[in-house]
Amino acid sequence: MSSANSVTGSIARAIDPMLQSASAPEQAVPDFPMMPLGQATDMGHAPDGTPLLDPRIFNTMEFMRNPYPYYKIMRDHYPVFHDKLHNCYYVTRYADITDCYFDDEGFNTIPKGSSSGVLGNTQLELSGIEHRRRRNLYGQHLVGQSLNHRVPAIEKLAEQMISNWDNLTPEQGVEDKGGVRSIQLGKVFANEFPIRVVCQVLGFPEESQEDFYYWYNSMMSGLGGSDTQKQGLEARQHLEDYLEEIVEARRKQPTYLYDNDGKELGKDVISKLCESKIDGDYLSTEEITSNIALVVGGGGETTRGAILNMWYLLLQHPDQFAEVVADEDKWNLAFHETLRHSTPIGGQPRHNTFDLDMHGVKVPAGSLVNMVDFSANHDDRIFKDPETFNIFRDDLYSGKLLRSGFAKEGKSSHMAFGVGPHLCPGAWISHQEAVVGSKILIKHMKNPRIRVDKMPKDIDGESLAPIGLISVRELWIDYDLE
Amino acid sequence: MSTQDQSAGKDRSAIRKFTRDITVGRNGVPVARAKTSGEGFRTYEIHQRMRPGETTAKMRPNRLISEEFLTDPYAPLEVLRENYPCYRDWIGNSYWVTQYNDVTSIFVDDANFETRPKSWFYSIEGFGRDLRGEIPVLSAQANRIDENIDAIASQIVDDMAASDAPDLALDLAARLPMELLACVLDLPKDDVPLFVERYWAMQRGYHWEPKSEQAGLAAIEDLTAYFDPIIEARRANPGDDMVSAIATLDLDSGPATGADVVATLLEADHESLHGGLANMWFLLLTNPDQLAIIKDDRRFIKFSWFETLRHSTPVVTAKRFALHEVERFGLMLPEGAMMNCSAAAANRDPRIYENPDSFLVTRKDMCQREPRGMYRADGLPAGITFGMGPPSKHPAVPEDRPRSLYAINKDIAVKASNILLDKMPNIGLKSGASPELRALRNGEMHTCWHLPVEF
Repeated sequence: MSSANSVTGSIARAIDPMLQSASAPEQAVPDFPMMPLGQATDMGHAPDGTPLLDPRIFNTMEFMRNPYPYYKIMRDHYPVFHDKLHNCYYVTRYADITDCYFDDEGFNTIPKGSSSGVLGNTQLELSGIEHRRRRNLYGQHLVGQSLNHRVPAIEKLAEQMISNWDNLTPEQGVEDKGGVRSIQLGKVFANEFPIRVVCQVLGFPEESQEDFYYWYNSMMSGLGGSDTQKQGLEARQHLEDYLEEIVEARRKQPTYLYDNDGKELGKDVISKLCESKIDGDYLSTEEITSNIALVVGGGGETTRGAILNMWYLLLQHPDQFAEVVADEDKWNLAFHETLRHSTPIGGQPRHNTFDLDMHGVKVPAGSLVNMVDFSANHDDRIFKDPETFNIFRDDLYSGKLLRSGFAKEGKSSHMAFGVGPHLCPGAWISHQEAVVGSKILIKHMKNPRIRVDKMPKDIDGESLAPIGLISVRELWIDYDLE
Repeated sequence: MSTQDQSAGKDRSAIRKFTRDITVGRNGVPVARAKTSGEGFRTYEIHQRMRPGETTAKMRPNRLISEEFLTDPYAPLEVLRENYPCYRDWIGNSYWVTQYNDVTSIFVDDANFETRPKSWFYSIEGFGRDLRGEIPVLSAQANRIDENIDAIASQIVDDMAASDAPDLALDLAARLPMELLACVLDLPKDDVPLFVERYWAMQRGYHWEPKSEQAGLAAIEDLTAYFDPIIEARRANPGDDMVSAIATLDLDSGPATGADVVATLLEADHESLHGGLANMWFLLLTNPDQLAIIKDDRRFIKFSWFETLRHSTPVVTAKRFALHEVERFGLMLPEGAMMNCSAAAANRDPRIYENPDSFLVTRKDMCQREPRGMYRADGLPAGITFGMGPPSKHPAVPEDRPRSLYAINKDIAVKASNILLDKMPNIGLKSGASPELRALRNGEMHTCWHLPVEF
């Protein structure tokens, strides 16, 4: 008899506490407590002391604002983490990610990811020579000599935007009071500046820039089956309708770019793409518009985030900011350290082509393997004291971008632009936009500081909110008018 | 046999694995480097771009892992079935298939979709052999159950009758499969409670929840250590139980061990009987008109079992994985794609069943046979539940095989229900009780955990 009751008791214990407390059911996304920055919430331990990682944490606000301690658990204990709730794997160490990014065949990019739904067939999702051919078609316009030709135009754009601040209202992001001007840097500069540069590189008329800003915003927020996906797809359709006419026109009549002195620099990117051939065939309009969609999308978000994050971090470290103000060249250091410390784009999905055994974890072919650039940038195997923002760190390479990730003398580049064959082709122009733009900004701002009362706060209600996984959305800065 | 025939019969998985030389990169990561540079190797002609009209705005993927889905999965599943027959779930990185004909088409398609065993989800593949398919093991299981079901079920119902607060779900539905399992394995009475606790921990641990996974792994270790001496003893002195049957198997890969017993138990399924019985009595007690029908004619107990598994199957979805890229349901499914094949949604497909949301033990449009989800000889669709495998290779039960597990479970449920009705002819829901079906956790059995009764 006692055994009979105990069987029921055993079952009851096995399904405890659910059975005991049907009125307080286990939540699909539990309330993980908000932790002090840099500390992970306790999700239990294995018998050998290894901290456990509940995959529901990835859906929480806590993870969005404070992801790095969780990535550290992964790097230290689960270099390949199998998330069975989201059916994917995470690779989190710098050296592993570098290996995987370089292994173009073993980790493929074929279109089953979230970007192809909205952006279409782009070289993001091709591999090998197919990828190189398409990438080189427009990648050449974003680097080297052709970029240097563009720098004066970028400067001019920045000057135009800043001189327009005098005409803006408080609703538009500029507020003057008692000799102090408050600006919302995102609204009055960073959000639109990169898009204007992209439009200029592509040779679009100035009056369409507002549409582009809307399209880019919608497409970015519509990636990957999010709630706003419909908006993203509609924007993509509008963009395509708009581009179709332009592409058809430029097939017949190419247009040209000119430098400040009116000297012809060559055809714009779209005109070039119109006359480019792959395997003897001209690119279809669909292919051209997909690539433009990628340039519009990719060229905007990252640069916007980089500018805002850089100013947010620098203004919170006045000593480092003073050094940058004193020596313009140090903007380069600040840019790279920002992208290491708080990159706006956190990683890339890959799918393994073959069954693999990585760090003792079996990964069947075709699995989604997320390369977590956020985590690589905070890997203490590579960067000393990774949570600290220090533009003078001696282990971060900040010269011309390296495909390998590893530089001489123990330096490594940050992972914000990726490494390997899919290294961001816009990395260099993004760098120029952020640095050139900031150099001009600082000329117009006297004694800039963060307007704390307008900024989102962290959980204590006082200190400024951390950047976490999302780049700064709004940045209010006060500066003295003469 | 020609060489062509031989290659056709080759193990598919062997071809998939390591077709390239794998080198080891920095940090010990295996990498498959392209050997020739400049060679293009993969392009896609198929545009997977979506058009604004193809958005899946009626379903937020979070809803599929929400509290609502744990209690009532049928509302969200209906949205999928009626709007998005193959729904791309970006949060769960999977595809949901919900229409009856689509779900069954995947279950029977061994050429394109694979099942991954629970040991794969535990990442302990190969720790023991799954010997469920061996005929002596099946026979021992069937014989022990047939011999003991009457006594065990009677005892359980008597215990429940003697209880202060009889709870049909816990005292009968949850307990019966465990008592039967202990009997099939012929475990000493005193060991049973601890065995049950470990067994449950093992069966709950292979999902995504890390604490349960740790508990499950510990339970597997404990159970292996527990069965090691038992299997040696029974090899020397076999009885008619399942452990003895496993111990005395003549296996090519060496004699069976405790790990093999545990691997066999792990892959076995206790949810169908437990969940099915609890759900059946939940439905009968909350639908008194249907209960009256089975009281009036006990023949309908069997039909109410099948109707329960259709109407409220304890196994809501089963996972399948695409073996290679395959075009289905208007989509290109990539290799490795995880398919959530929803039996719950398919069983309520109005294209197949009239009035699918009603629980009708006298239903005429469903095959009253093994509920494995296929059209049977009489042309009627069967409900989908349990292991949800391909059609039986043995449409007529051969002499040398015990009847299928589907049939065994059906017989247990019918017998236990008959005994229950004999001993408590006026059984009813406890007044004031409002039982409900729910899953304890995302991906687990959807059943009734508390069913207070009075008689």
